[in-house]
Amino acid sequence: MRLLYQILWKDHSRAHLLGAFLGTLAGFVLLLAGIQFYMDIKSVLSENRDLLDPEYIVINKKVNIGQTLGLSRVGFTPEEIEEIKAQPFADQVAAFNSNEFPVSAYTENERFPDFITDLFFESIPNEFIDVKSEEWHWDPEKGTIPVIIPQDYLNLYNFGFAPSQGLPQIPKGVISMIDFKLRLKGQGRGNYDDYQGRIVGFSNRVNSILVPLDFLEWANQKYGYFKKNDPSQVILVSKNPTDPNIIRFLEEKGYDTIREKLKSSRMNIILKFIISFLVIVAAIIIGLAFLVFLLSLQLMISRSSEKIRRLNKLGFHYREISRPYILLLLLLMAGITGLSLLLTSLLAGQLHQTAETWSLNISPSLHGIIYGTALGLILLISVANVTAILISTKKLCK
Amino acid sequence: MTIRFEKMIPLPMLEQDTSGSEVWEAESLLLEQGKYYLVEAPSGRGKTSLLSVIYGIRTDYQGVVTIDDRELVSFTLKEWSSIRKSELSFIFQGLELFDDLTALENIRLKNEMTGYHSNERIMEMARVLGIDPFLQRKAGILSFGQQQRVAIIRALCQPFNFLLADECFSHMDRENSLTAYHLIREECEVRDAGLILTSLNETGLPNADVRLKL
Repeated sequence: MRLLYQILWKDHSRAHLLGAFLGTLAGFVLLLAGIQFYMDIKSVLSENRDLLDPEYIVINKKVNIGQTLGLSRVGFTPEEIEEIKAQPFADQVAAFNSNEFPVSAYTENERFPDFITDLFFESIPNEFIDVKSEEWHWDPEKGTIPVIIPQDYLNLYNFGFAPSQGLPQIPKGVISMIDFKLRLKGQGRGNYDDYQGRIVGFSNRVNSILVPLDFLEWANQKYGYFKKNDPSQVILVSKNPTDPNIIRFLEEKGYDTIREKLKSSRMNIILKFIISFLVIVAAIIIGLAFLVFLLSLQLMISRSSEKIRRLNKLGFHYREISRPYILLLLLLMAGITGLSLLLTSLLAGQLHQTAETWSLNISPSLHGIIYGTALGLILLISVANVTAILISTKKLCK
Repeated sequence: MTIRFEKMIPLPMLEQDTSGSEVWEAESLLLEQGKYYLVEAPSGRGKTSLLSVIYGIRTDYQGVVTIDDRELVSFTLKEWSSIRKSELSFIFQGLELFDDLTALENIRLKNEMTGYHSNERIMEMARVLGIDPFLQRKAGILSFGQQQRVAIIRALCQPFNFLLADECFSHMDRENSLTAYHLIREECEVRDAGLILTSLNETGLPNADVRLKL
């Protein structure tokens, strides 16, 4: 029915339809590109964070003057620990145990200067520790206490302290050979024992001097006489460290952590904000363009109302009369879908190239969700418009 | 197909003097397929209203109108468009041509929908009515008499049981009117269809089976 199309397409308003077309196209590109880049950046963030591994986050309370003066407590109460455990981002939570007796370490070795220092110990369950060592257990028979110190301590010594004092730098492997003694003192004079200490590894994760949990429990039993304190640090495992809720929770509670580790969480907050803004703008544009579409088609129909009545008198059913409008709509929609996907993939390709120079791995092709979103929206707009077309042509028919 | 009126009168006619009308005053009126009805009346007596009611484009009437014993008000839009494609054809007084289309395109618009006539038959009818030289012209620039002949041919491009012709010779001379009249009768006979033809006055169009005064 070429003639039917010839009759009814004559009354279109090119400016309106073009405006609606471009508007919808712009909205679509904005929306699709927004989603595409969000997915990309999210994957880049997770790559850098090794998201496949869960993140271990050590948190503590911020130290304030109240704590210095002994007015407020620095430890986590059992209720506070329960609260942290209840957070959706916390997959595993453990509090740090600490020594309840005095500890000191000293050396008896000709190659090193003698030193003696007071120490502290802390323990967490083994699954939270990033050092795997066969020696990491307590054997009262052997009497050697394995110790894990932070990698940072060794770095401080090797690159800060040792060169300035004319002392030899010590490679990791040698450290474990250093003999040093640990003196654990119980209550009362002369109530102490010396044990052999051995550094069995360096932790990048925990900023503390760690001993095996079974040892600490044994030692606290044997020597402990301090009043038991609430743990001052809590370690939690999160499978989703980019979750912006982590930062929000910590800030709300006044807890502190090594901020660097949660950079991606904060980036995520900013990213989500930008993307939501983008999506809202895109939604408004698409909404307005959709209205212009609807109105242009309705205007076209009402301009042709005489012709539609006439066609109806000649025996055309309103569905037949609607066909030219529906075809026009679908052509425009197909154009919008095709062009917006094309433009978005061009943008994605451009970003891919730019990102490559920063050696960031960004997908050069569109994510599956982009196609889904585009088709879903197009379907929605088309269905609404087709319904409107059918309703308004039907109104003109008898 | 039969068309039956029972005390049917368009609402605007209620305010007029309809005394003597063989349609508006009738208790019941039956129009039968295969017969030729000539409805004669001066302007304003409701000729167009009558045909429009039968064709379903006017519903402002009281009384009952049935086609094959079914009330018109019960027909759906879908049924109306099917009726207008294959059971009723209308030569509108206002012609209802598309000015932007050529005369031939106006005819084809209908014929493509029904596929009733061959191109040759359309050309032949145009020749008979003397409008074959104007077929490629836009309908809007033809004279009213020429447009009437285009509308007649268009109305003949479909199957029908009744042809409703509303003052369709008003702008033609007597000779052209008779030619067109004969063409219409011929096409009606082929279909064994009824013809309801309205006319302003006694035009001398011959052979009416029933003459109705409005």
